[in-house]
Amino acid sequence: MNVVASSRINEKVLLMGNEAIARGAIEAGVEVITAYPGTPSSEIVETLAEIANDFEYYVEWSINEKIAFEIAAGASLIGARSLVAMKNAGLNVAMDTFMTLPYTGIKGGMVIVVADDPGAHYSSNEQDTRLAALYAEIPCLEPANQQEAKEMTKEAFELSETLELPIFLRSVTRLSHASGDVILREIKKQSKKIGFNKHWKIPYRWNVYGPPGAVSKHRWLHLQMEKSKNIVEESKFNTFTLPINTNIGIVASGLGASYAAEAISELGLKEKLAFIKLGFANPLPEEKLRKILKGLKKLIVIEEGDPVIERQIRSFAQDTFTEVEIFGKERKQILNPYGELNVDCVAEGISKAIGLQVKENQKRSNIKKEIQKMISHRSSTLCAGCPHLGTYWAVKKALQDRKGVHIVNGDIGCYEQGGYGVFSHKINPTDDNSKTYSISSPCEILDTLYVMGSGIGMAMGQSQAGYKDGKILAVAGDSTFFHATLPAVVNAVYTQADITYLVLDNSWTCMTGHQPSPTTGRGTTGEKVKVIDIPKITEAIGITCIKVVDPYNIEESIQAIQEAIDFKGPSVVILQRECALQVQRREKYKNPQTFIDRDKCTGCKKCLSFGCPAITFDSKNKVAGIDSLLCVDCGLCNQICSFGAIALKKGNNYV
Amino acid sequence: MFNMIIAGVGGQGSILASHIFADAAIRTSVTNGDNDIKVRVGETFGAAMRGGSVASHIKIGSDVYSPLVPEDKADVILGLEPLEKLRVGVSYIAPGGIVIMNIRKCKSVDVKTGQAEYPSISDIIDSFKKLNANVITLDATEIAIKAGTAKAMNVVMLGALAACQKNLVPRKILEGVIKDRVPPKTIEVNLKAFELGFNKVSEDLRR
Repeated sequence: MNVVASSRINEKVLLMGNEAIARGAIEAGVEVITAYPGTPSSEIVETLAEIANDFEYYVEWSINEKIAFEIAAGASLIGARSLVAMKNAGLNVAMDTFMTLPYTGIKGGMVIVVADDPGAHYSSNEQDTRLAALYAEIPCLEPANQQEAKEMTKEAFELSETLELPIFLRSVTRLSHASGDVILREIKKQSKKIGFNKHWKIPYRWNVYGPPGAVSKHRWLHLQMEKSKNIVEESKFNTFTLPINTNIGIVASGLGASYAAEAISELGLKEKLAFIKLGFANPLPEEKLRKILKGLKKLIVIEEGDPVIERQIRSFAQDTFTEVEIFGKERKQILNPYGELNVDCVAEGISKAIGLQVKENQKRSNIKKEIQKMISHRSSTLCAGCPHLGTYWAVKKALQDRKGVHIVNGDIGCYEQGGYGVFSHKINPTDDNSKTYSISSPCEILDTLYVMGSGIGMAMGQSQAGYKDGKILAVAGDSTFFHATLPAVVNAVYTQADITYLVLDNSWTCMTGHQPSPTTGRGTTGEKVKVIDIPKITEAIGITCIKVVDPYNIEESIQAIQEAIDFKGPSVVILQRECALQVQRREKYKNPQTFIDRDKCTGCKKCLSFGCPAITFDSKNKVAGIDSLLCVDCGLCNQICSFGAIALKKGNNYV
Repeated sequence: MFNMIIAGVGGQGSILASHIFADAAIRTSVTNGDNDIKVRVGETFGAAMRGGSVASHIKIGSDVYSPLVPEDKADVILGLEPLEKLRVGVSYIAPGGIVIMNIRKCKSVDVKTGQAEYPSISDIIDSFKKLNANVITLDATEIAIKAGTAKAMNVVMLGALAACQKNLVPRKILEGVIKDRVPPKTIEVNLKAFELGFNKVSEDLRR
């Protein structure tokens, strides 16, 4: 049984940050939960979907974050407690509704969980979404550990109902994807107080245009935020350790407070300086902070992300009679305003601010530098038997046959690994025409890469600007097809952009941990549902050149791609083959049948440039080999070998 | 405070191994009535589903707050793969720390295509010695195959770890967590793998 669903109250268990948030929602009696998968936030809904049968809540993987947000909001307007979870970039998708909902507020407690990614481990950027909470003018909580993640989630529902506002819970990778000890508490029953009142407390409550209009609703929002200022001054999530004889203070929020606590104890400064740990940090407990500022000479602000709190403190320090020097990520800079924090950089920053000498062991760092020279980079790869390997090989071959400098616009997903990799060192960034290198591996197919769905729009821009030096393509996966590209396909048909859109359909949302997509045939909790047919949709929108192929068949894939890129106007190629990892999970695969005929292998390494991790090379004897632990007999490499040296014994499952 | 890092390649099971150890540490603290012991596990892995570098940081103690081990502060580094062990170890191993290393290489695509070189096992061991670490090596993959499946290599390494850290987390508690956390059908194989790893390192230490 999943420990998140456990009824063993007061037990101390190990929970991942995302599981702790899920547990907090259950303890609060959550009724509706939605999300679109996005690392590092996915495990919140993944956990709640897994244990859904034990509870009465409704949970879904929505098509995108905007829809997920609106479902949670809609549920809340009629009194249900709802939670919506997303990653940093996901909030950008939900932004339109996110910015306007606070004007009317909500009824049932609504919690918006956003997992930021300082260090950009799994994201296109490092955006600090606490700024979005400030932008939308709603309260923001920042947990420092897994226990707090659970407590704050639970408390956020109460706070949300008290203030009638959605509450923003900001997590980060190192919290969501880290684990810690958490004490389980009682699970609250759902309130089930569902009902609709069009004029609840305010005329036309749920209509921002409704009289007396949006400005009046904005004014109401400000009144609510004034109320939250009183609550934040007394919040148990903000703690103040204030020794008498010090004029140095540290203000740290969220996970930054955990790094700061460790750094303080490492530097032997425990109880020797003022330590203010903020968990409820928008709005700030300004009254308390003002009083503390007056007694300080130096204040160090430690926060994960942008200098959000630092700027606010600096702003009100101006009209507080104080000579305090403020250290942080700007002006008196002791921490970088990019990248993520850790105990070492925080300890170094604190030392710098207060003038402590840091001892460095020069001899040890020299030894380390020497050793580091022999550690080679490990490029990430697509998995053995990944259908995208076949797709990218076919794209490469299809384009090599056509003259020109082709542009392939990428997308976010497993297939983004077609945009970087082991051969990137060949690139000279100062070259004016930087695309002079030839496409030599599946790892350098993609030329542009930003966010979900952006490639299709950019391809249209290149086409409409009159690019004639080569073909214009865009790729996106099946989950992205629904999440972010449907309006773009309509646009392409409407404007007759001369682009080719390759839909890499592997039936799952893979990179975030294999959540179901509308192409899977399974719903959120594993129930059977109808597959939504991508070829039929593109046809209905008005695409006339549609090809559907299996990327495990390289010849056919090349032909389909070439027919599509030669077509004038918008064309779509749907490359359909289920993710190899999912197939293996279902059908336990034993003893692969693919082998190398050592007499035929010339050691040309063509198969290695294909990029499948199951292909090995014996450099002593100059022959390729197959790693039997990884190979899944997809049959792709034998189509690539020019010498017929790779073959399949009888009895494999795939070809 | 006890700090450990488990380093490996995506798909080798380093995250499961770290959760088993951390869970066992919590159960040990509850059994001993140490209420202020805190446990944290921080994970670092790349975007790829398989084949990338993975490191799990595990911290146990009363003064533990954050999920990451500071530089030069890892008491133990458990390496499921030699190069990954070195990648992490060079920054984090504490002088006098213990390095437990599976010697089975998992070559990267960079090495396989001839774009990069894989250092020799003896160079890796020497590197750790230069950093004043104690090195214990074993072919955990081979031992796991003996136990029944190469996939149990991570649990062999947990057995090896248990043999070096007899006081921190008792063997019995670790075995209990393994039973709870591995797929039910694989409990027997995993317990066997744990025992073989434990015995191998216990014998080596006796010598």
